[in-house]
Amino acid sequence: MIHLTIDHISLSVPEGSSVLEAARTAGMDIPSMCYKEGHDNHPSCMVCMVRDRKTGNLFPSCSIKVTEGMDLISNDEQVKEARRDALELLLSDHVGDCEAPCSLACPAGMNIPLMNRLIAANRFDESLKVVKEEIALPYILGFICPAPCEKACRRRQIDDSVSICLLKRFVAAEDEKSGQWLPPVEVSTGKKVAILGSGPAGLAAAYYLLQKGHGCVVYDKNAEAGGALRYSVPAEKLTRAALDAEIHRIERYGARFILGTAVSRELFASEISKGYDAVILATGDTAVEGELLSLFSSSKSGISVTEGTYETSEAGVFACGSVLRAQKMAVRAVAQGKAAALAADQYLRGMKPIPERKKFNSRFDKLSEPEFAEYLREASGEKQIAPGGGEMAGFTPEEAIREAARCMHCDCRKLDECKLRNYADAYHADRKKYATGERKLMTRHTDHPEVVYEPEKCIRCGLCIDITVKNNEYTGLTFIGRGFDVRIEVPFGKPMSAALVKSVKECVESCPTGALSFKYKT
Amino acid sequence: MKDNITGIVDRIVGRIGKTTDKVIPLLQAIQQEFNYLPEEALQRVCDTTDIVPSSVYGIATFYSQFRLRPVGKHIIKVCVGTACHVKGAMLVHDALRRELKLHNHEDTDAGGTFTIEQVACLGCCTLAPVVQIDDVTYGHVTTGKVPEILDDFLHLKRSPAAPAVAPTLDGVERVQGEIRIGLGSCCVASGSAAVKSEIENTLRRNNIHVNVKHVGCVGICNQVPILEIQKPGEAPSFYAKIKPEEVNEVIRHHFKPEKAMPRLRNSLYNVFDQLVTKDMPHSVKHYSSGETDTPVAEFLHGQVSIATEYRGEMKPSDINEYKSRDGFKALHSCLHEKSPADVIDIIAKSGLRGRGGAGFPTGVKWKLVREAVSEEKFMICNGDEGDPGAFMDRMLLESYPFRILEGMIIAAYAVGAHNGLFYIRAEYPLAVKRIREAIEICRHEGILGDHVLGSGFSFDVRIFEGAGAFVCGEETSLIASVEGKRGLPTMRPPYPANKGLHGKPTLINNVETLSLISWIIRHGAEAFNSIGTENSKGTKVFALAGKISRGGLIEVPMGISIRKIVEEIGGGIPDGKKFKAIQIGGPSGGCIPASMADIPIDYASLTAAGAMMGSGGLIVLDESDCMVDIARYFLSFTQDQSCGRCTFCRIGTRRMLEILEKISNGKGTDCDLAELESLALKTKSGSICGLGKSAPNPVLTTLRYFREEYEAHIHGKCPTGKCKGLVKYSITTDCIGCTRCAQQCPSGAITANPYEIHVVDNEKCIQCDICRQACPVNAVITT
Repeated sequence: MIHLTIDHISLSVPEGSSVLEAARTAGMDIPSMCYKEGHDNHPSCMVCMVRDRKTGNLFPSCSIKVTEGMDLISNDEQVKEARRDALELLLSDHVGDCEAPCSLACPAGMNIPLMNRLIAANRFDESLKVVKEEIALPYILGFICPAPCEKACRRRQIDDSVSICLLKRFVAAEDEKSGQWLPPVEVSTGKKVAILGSGPAGLAAAYYLLQKGHGCVVYDKNAEAGGALRYSVPAEKLTRAALDAEIHRIERYGARFILGTAVSRELFASEISKGYDAVILATGDTAVEGELLSLFSSSKSGISVTEGTYETSEAGVFACGSVLRAQKMAVRAVAQGKAAALAADQYLRGMKPIPERKKFNSRFDKLSEPEFAEYLREASGEKQIAPGGGEMAGFTPEEAIREAARCMHCDCRKLDECKLRNYADAYHADRKKYATGERKLMTRHTDHPEVVYEPEKCIRCGLCIDITVKNNEYTGLTFIGRGFDVRIEVPFGKPMSAALVKSVKECVESCPTGALSFKYKT
Repeated sequence: MKDNITGIVDRIVGRIGKTTDKVIPLLQAIQQEFNYLPEEALQRVCDTTDIVPSSVYGIATFYSQFRLRPVGKHIIKVCVGTACHVKGAMLVHDALRRELKLHNHEDTDAGGTFTIEQVACLGCCTLAPVVQIDDVTYGHVTTGKVPEILDDFLHLKRSPAAPAVAPTLDGVERVQGEIRIGLGSCCVASGSAAVKSEIENTLRRNNIHVNVKHVGCVGICNQVPILEIQKPGEAPSFYAKIKPEEVNEVIRHHFKPEKAMPRLRNSLYNVFDQLVTKDMPHSVKHYSSGETDTPVAEFLHGQVSIATEYRGEMKPSDINEYKSRDGFKALHSCLHEKSPADVIDIIAKSGLRGRGGAGFPTGVKWKLVREAVSEEKFMICNGDEGDPGAFMDRMLLESYPFRILEGMIIAAYAVGAHNGLFYIRAEYPLAVKRIREAIEICRHEGILGDHVLGSGFSFDVRIFEGAGAFVCGEETSLIASVEGKRGLPTMRPPYPANKGLHGKPTLINNVETLSLISWIIRHGAEAFNSIGTENSKGTKVFALAGKISRGGLIEVPMGISIRKIVEEIGGGIPDGKKFKAIQIGGPSGGCIPASMADIPIDYASLTAAGAMMGSGGLIVLDESDCMVDIARYFLSFTQDQSCGRCTFCRIGTRRMLEILEKISNGKGTDCDLAELESLALKTKSGSICGLGKSAPNPVLTTLRYFREEYEAHIHGKCPTGKCKGLVKYSITTDCIGCTRCAQQCPSGAITANPYEIHVVDNEKCIQCDICRQACPVNAVITT
């Protein structure tokens, strides 16, 4: 056994262990991308750096064997900075989107590409569930959303964007016709939340609070629920049937509506703040409810809240929607409604609300012309489809499938598993720090029946090569060239299907990024 | 064609072998045959050997030597080594591409006549800039001369190729004296082969009985081809820059003394003039060795010959001559009188440190390998000289093959290795040939093989030709390439001393290190360690080039000042320019400003100055050299040569290069300077091997000593007018209206009415510099 110290903790590990292995046996978390147990790979990523306490030298922990009396530092600022530097350098050479541009543009952050793929695969019910993760009122928004997602859609550069909004309405309408699905609710907490206002923000908040197992009572000064959706949006734009259906569904989910009741200061003091465990303030336009709002600290534009958690100056009272500032997009109000609900949920469970943090995202600028073909490899080449029955009628299932098939799969297939993304997030890496060079052109190799290879996402760790060698693949993969331009390819210009025969799963799962990934299976 | 390829490949495989470690020799043999690597040939290798496609492709694309596309009938190699770079090699390269009408990434002209490639160093630094077309070398090339050169090459009357080794006149009974002619690579490049054959003709015609000897590099590369005449009882005479047509006169002057040589005598009186006006047409310069103020004497003064002992006196492949000058005495005494421990003790006491760059104590290294317990150990001589401004190892290998072999056998004896390997770059064909000859001769003489010199020690050596990768100078990469892999360095420990070639303890020493061993054994540790400074003992060989009057191969005692090398040995800066800096250690080293020229050449002081001893490239820079450009030059080299494995080296060096390019285009900001410096430091500490750890040195030293030059670029000015993005050409009122510039301008950027002042349109100008070179009155200027 070898005795060493990492971060002042004494360890005894078998001779021949690497520092990384030693640290991991002791439960220490040293990041690493290019290392894989059982593979004698060369160190390449350099994110597993640790530091020798005596000499101060940095070295990759995966490739140095433990020696007696080693004294190492694995978590000080200098080590973290070196790891961040390595990540930032890797990011400067990493071309690809983590989340797709459409999802990032969506104020609610909906997983649009996944919705599209499910529609294209004729799995409409699953697609609705994806939508409802982020958007409580898809049927309504399917009519009125200005769809910032479509402006960001990469397909727009080639011909026209995918009609995301119509597709979303389509899945909601389908669901309305069939199951009227509602997610199962969590165990009841016995807590009660008053939601003041039944516009998009209030309805969304109710939906997610109900899902979390809380009771919800929705107050509205008007005789009918819907707020601005009913009283400001003309019926030609948003059918009353759709509006009523969506409100009805929330009612069916367990919300109680108290309508025609404007909450005054007095009512708030006597009934609301006493009778409920939390309050969601979603009364819409500030001018109308001026009197009540004077209870909370505010600015010119509206009620002041803590960023991300929507907490007002009063404990247990959260605010969202136009009460904060006039919202032009209902989808933003819906997104805020969800965020306020999640913060209220945390509050109700006795926790300090923590805002949902936006995870690291790799992004790149516009596609350039040679990339069009690469992106169209997995997409239908059809032009944008107009609903045969007119805009208000929406897509037929057949049209929806064809339109959804136009989606180019900009999102990374390893959104959650990608180590580069996860570490970039954990180390707060700045993806633009070393963006000094021209970006490489994206390519996609889709010939393999199961695998997609995107070389511009590769960090050149060579694990896949090592695996193909170990598995005695005849053709396998190889490094081509050297220096900055080194890349991984199939020898003799053969297709990926020749390279990966016995090693498919192992290679895809070992690839630390989205360079090698499984195709979306339908 | 395909059957043909199959047959040829099968024969090659039959000759070389089928095992995975044979991949590099196999590819070299295939390329030798086809001039490139045809895909069918590679496929055939995979089908008939243990070698798999991934290995073949990985290797064929890693090493610069290999080509995957067919080439033209003739290959133009443009040397872009450091010395050539500072003398405008890239302008020449661009001009050649223009002349051949090559677009984008094309490297072969439409007619398939010429293929152009850049090479790191042809080792003719003193003739810079150099272009080699097949076996014809053109020196001092200017952009305007490019069409002429191609024309000249195509119309060259090929004389039947002179045999590489001329029939020797050894054994002639009555010998009147000896004529020595240098046949090192740069002598050959300057035309020494033609001179040699002319000497032989003259002697034959006149029935003069004289030994003609081809000696190795004399080191006076600035005066080549150089001819030395030795007569019994007379001081030797030197003839510099001799031409074939002058040979007759020279020989008859010495061996028929009644004939006078007025022209030559005149040129002797004009020696000094010629030195300062170096652009005079090639004319014979005659120096007698007795004179002390001749360039030759000055050049040699202050030098100490250990690695280069008997320089210019020995025929490289003549073992008897080597023996007559104490050759193999050291080996004999080691094998018969000293234990391995004694030998290691002497080397340790001598203070010798590895000459490959890092300067690790040689005695300690030997001891480590000696102490490593293993049935089998290996000894490798590292001759993978990759610094683009250095040619010391090549010259030592070409000139002193026996001396290096002797050092190697002694080292092997000391550490207990029985198998040796000469790792020599395939780009050094002459060195490979000389070593191959020497190995054959030594086997024949019982110096290699079983029972070396009748002792109980057995040792044999083979040659491995490196396929061109700077990173293979790194021990662990070198081993990887010998094992038939891409030359990727691995983390140390384990060190090769414990786990080297095929996992066995391996001693790796640089060529120069080994060339010092026999002298140390013969003269004792004290003789060696009395030369030099506290931490740096003995001598160091440098390839002195760049903006220097007398460039060449020099061997100087450690501790000599930079100033002494530049001003006394090198004769200062030509053309009345000011000495600005030296670049020492090549891509791993740094720039030391003229203001620090009094620091001694030793490991510690060079490292303290931010540079390093390196392997021995020493390029002198004058006031017309841009330091940002120098840093950019080295970074473009290292980022291409990086093995591409570790993040900091692969991406860090490229990003540094991009920042440097931004700065040299005048688009840099103060933030970029800070970013560059910080990235350089990060790359230094974050890379795993010597290449990445030292690649930032040229940037860091220029930032340290020439920061104001970087700042000037940021403010939109390149003070020396070297950086294309910041330079504008214009014509002054000195213009005499001769239209010469306009006639030669390849882009039609000059409006020239006869007898009026011409005007440059900078929109059209491609900055090829032809106009400036063409102007007879220096009216074309850059601002």
